[in-house]
Amino acid sequence: MKKMISWLSPVVAGALILAGCVQPTPIDPSTVAAPTKEAAQEASGGAAAPAEAQAGGIWRRASIADAELLNPILSSESASSAVNAMLFPGLIGQDPFSGEFTPDGSMSESWEVSEDGLTWTFKLRDGVTWSDGDPVDAADFKYTYDAIADEKIETPRKSVLEGIESIETPDPLTVVVKFSEVRCDGLGNLGLGWLPSHLYAADFSDIMENDYNEAPPVSAGPFVFNTWTRDDNLTLTRNESYWEGAPNMEGMIYKVVPDPGAQLAQLQAGEIDIMGVQPNQLATAQTIADTEIFNFQDDGYDYIALNLANPENPQAGQDDSGNLIEQEPHPILSDVNVRKAIAHSLDYQTIIDQVYLGQGYQIPANVLPAVPWAFNDALEPYAYDLDGAKQLLEEAGWVDSDGDGVREKDGNKLSLALVTNAGNTTREDLGALVQDQLTQVGFEIDFQAIDFGVMVEQMLGQTYDMVIIGWTGVGTDPNDDAFWHTKFDTPGSGFNFVSYHNPEIDALLDTGVTVPGCSTEERAPTYKQIQEIIHADVPYVFISGGVGNTAYTTKWQGIEPGPWAFYYNVHQWSLSQ
Amino acid sequence: MFRYIIRRLFQAIPTLFGISIISFALVSAAPGDPVMKRTFDPKIKAEDREILRRQLGLDQSPVIQYITWFTGVTLRIGDHVAEFSNERSRCTYTALINMTFCDKGGGILRGDLGTSFNTREPVWERLIQKVPATLELGIASLILSIIVGVPLGVLAAVYRGSPFDYLVRFLSSVFQSIPIFWVGLMMILVFAVILGILPSNGRQTATLNQEFDLLDRLRHLILPSFTLAIGGIAGFSRIMRTETLEVLHTDYIRTARAKGLAPTNVWFLHALRNALIPLMTILGPAIVGVLSGALVTETVFGWPGMGRMTVAAVGQNDYPMVLGAGMFFAALTIIGNLMSDIFYGIVDPRVRLG
Repeated sequence: MKKMISWLSPVVAGALILAGCVQPTPIDPSTVAAPTKEAAQEASGGAAAPAEAQAGGIWRRASIADAELLNPILSSESASSAVNAMLFPGLIGQDPFSGEFTPDGSMSESWEVSEDGLTWTFKLRDGVTWSDGDPVDAADFKYTYDAIADEKIETPRKSVLEGIESIETPDPLTVVVKFSEVRCDGLGNLGLGWLPSHLYAADFSDIMENDYNEAPPVSAGPFVFNTWTRDDNLTLTRNESYWEGAPNMEGMIYKVVPDPGAQLAQLQAGEIDIMGVQPNQLATAQTIADTEIFNFQDDGYDYIALNLANPENPQAGQDDSGNLIEQEPHPILSDVNVRKAIAHSLDYQTIIDQVYLGQGYQIPANVLPAVPWAFNDALEPYAYDLDGAKQLLEEAGWVDSDGDGVREKDGNKLSLALVTNAGNTTREDLGALVQDQLTQVGFEIDFQAIDFGVMVEQMLGQTYDMVIIGWTGVGTDPNDDAFWHTKFDTPGSGFNFVSYHNPEIDALLDTGVTVPGCSTEERAPTYKQIQEIIHADVPYVFISGGVGNTAYTTKWQGIEPGPWAFYYNVHQWSLSQ
Repeated sequence: MFRYIIRRLFQAIPTLFGISIISFALVSAAPGDPVMKRTFDPKIKAEDREILRRQLGLDQSPVIQYITWFTGVTLRIGDHVAEFSNERSRCTYTALINMTFCDKGGGILRGDLGTSFNTREPVWERLIQKVPATLELGIASLILSIIVGVPLGVLAAVYRGSPFDYLVRFLSSVFQSIPIFWVGLMMILVFAVILGILPSNGRQTATLNQEFDLLDRLRHLILPSFTLAIGGIAGFSRIMRTETLEVLHTDYIRTARAKGLAPTNVWFLHALRNALIPLMTILGPAIVGVLSGALVTETVFGWPGMGRMTVAAVGQNDYPMVLGAGMFFAALTIIGNLMSDIFYGIVDPRVRLG
């Protein structure tokens, strides 16, 4: 299906562009970094809330895929999460503009952490009820997390329990969570939606198979479930008893529109109110009347992963006792000079202009500007420098002795395989460009776009040389030890599939995430140092930070989108007069 | 006739069994790991992934997975009665061969197509939910194909060599070779975006009360059914033209003309019935095509039918859904071909079934 979507969308976008003969107006992502509430208010027509909110209207949003399960602990894909977020309350809120965790919009009124950083005490809001009138309280939170721990519950969400020693509820409005060790990125694990415990069996036996998973009977969010026609649409109606005030709008409709080209056509025809716009659709989207485009830096990035270990003999990074296992080095990519040469060989500006159509920006290392307190702004991304790249390769002993354009060393050619997933046209275009640019400095690149499943098998199996891929949704915490720590170098399943081994990085990653109190001031130097080392060691060649574009109608007022949340104030939106 | 049908139905059993083995082998050999597809997230631990793999039965060898899917009984080496016995699964341990058998219920043998990995719903239920939408689109396009394609073909044959004949032949060549998704997108562009007179997506306007509105349904049906019918119109008109030409040169047509019958009576009463016979042979497979859903058209127009659901399941490595849909379509194909043979016998009395 993804493949089909991806080959349909450029065609329709092309057709639409041809039809309208419009030229794209590039949006400079550097001008959209770190949006603020003020800027959002200005964009939405001024800070003043509508003088008189008009009740009524239906918000129609397009979704590529249908939701699967309306149960916050069983579902894990984004389409279900988008619906669940409107129905199930959570313990933690997130600032839509900074991404920081906050009680705003959540069931917590406030929280505090003990001095040793292990005990978190949450005071809950009084008077919040489910739509059937039953109170939302600490018992719901405890029930939800106890359910995840129960063996009857089959869910990939079990990792949210990592490090949690106990959950206590001394009174209905207090939750005390004790961790066995300080984990500064653990707070996010407490943000799952709560189940209404009064409707389920105490032994969790009716959670896995329950009609509620398709038609939740109660809600504590701004909307309540209304109807669901699978693969077509799902509707919600206003929750009259929503604790922040009943929304002005009558309801919300999720329309399943699998093809992005068809989504754009629907936006043009006024059949939907919002969609995520792809770079090749931007020019058309900019011409649609009564439509605003929210351009923001998201929490993802694209990169080329370089396998530092021998792909013919993948090994784990540590043994069962945690001792380091010496890796057999990659015959070419284990040399940092070669990796730096690759980083210098790429014309990032051309890549961003031609492949990302201007919807990207170069990043120096593994933390994005979207996490400003941890981002190391002193680091400069690798510059496009062909001479420097050639010099580095020569220093590494790779020279073209036979004049065939490909460098050799000890009788071996500077020859590497590069793969990416077929169907992702951005990555396919990027691969072709990277192949072309690396060839210019004396590499021989065998580039192939292959099936996503096969690519993941090669990547996690660590049997590749270079892979073009990206991370999305890396979140607001800069801890990304899963990518760099030796303990996650486990062929077949670990995400340190580049086999990056650096004891200093291991130690810094362990330190950064276990700072008692987790203050950003204290953690920041550690993460800035990590970025410096990653930048210097080049286990990834960082290509582009992610830029998102959301097109939405201006027929509604009060919309103040943030990069981390769009619907946080949905209850205040109203149709323009 | 009755015995013939019964015999054909019995013959279908080994065919279906063979299809079940081949389709299972193909799905098992397909690249991609359904567990990794659902959990490609650094935040999910390897142990949780293994739990999921075990729960979905994907930790077993393909042969055992097939037996489980076909019979509803899982096999595990060793004694796992305590571990796997629960409300949904009755387990017994056979010490002689050191194996635990767990009857989870279901299985193809018992007419159960399994449970979707994604939505945890029975595959059969999901398919049945989609039948009305698929039938609606398919029948509408089939009717359009016939009522437009057949007269066009007959008239092109009657006026052979005329500009009308050339136009029909030219357009049928174009419409048979044109990619259907492109036609769909152009339809959307012209009628939904530029003219704004027809909806571009879905089976009905999504509203909060979801009431049935016949006019709204018909408006949504127009673009996808025309798009889907274009290939059929082209195909039917070509076949009808060729067949009518052949029939028009036969003696009995000349006789009919000589008797002074009106030309339209000759074409449509005498020539058409005989020219229709070859059409019957393609009608059976066409009906199967209608039932199994129009993959591309359903995707472009967001039509919530079986075709789109199956394509989505393939993309998501939802094995039970893909296999269940495969078995369902295989059974339909067998029935469709049987119906085609029966129709043939009815239309052409020279053909006898025995």
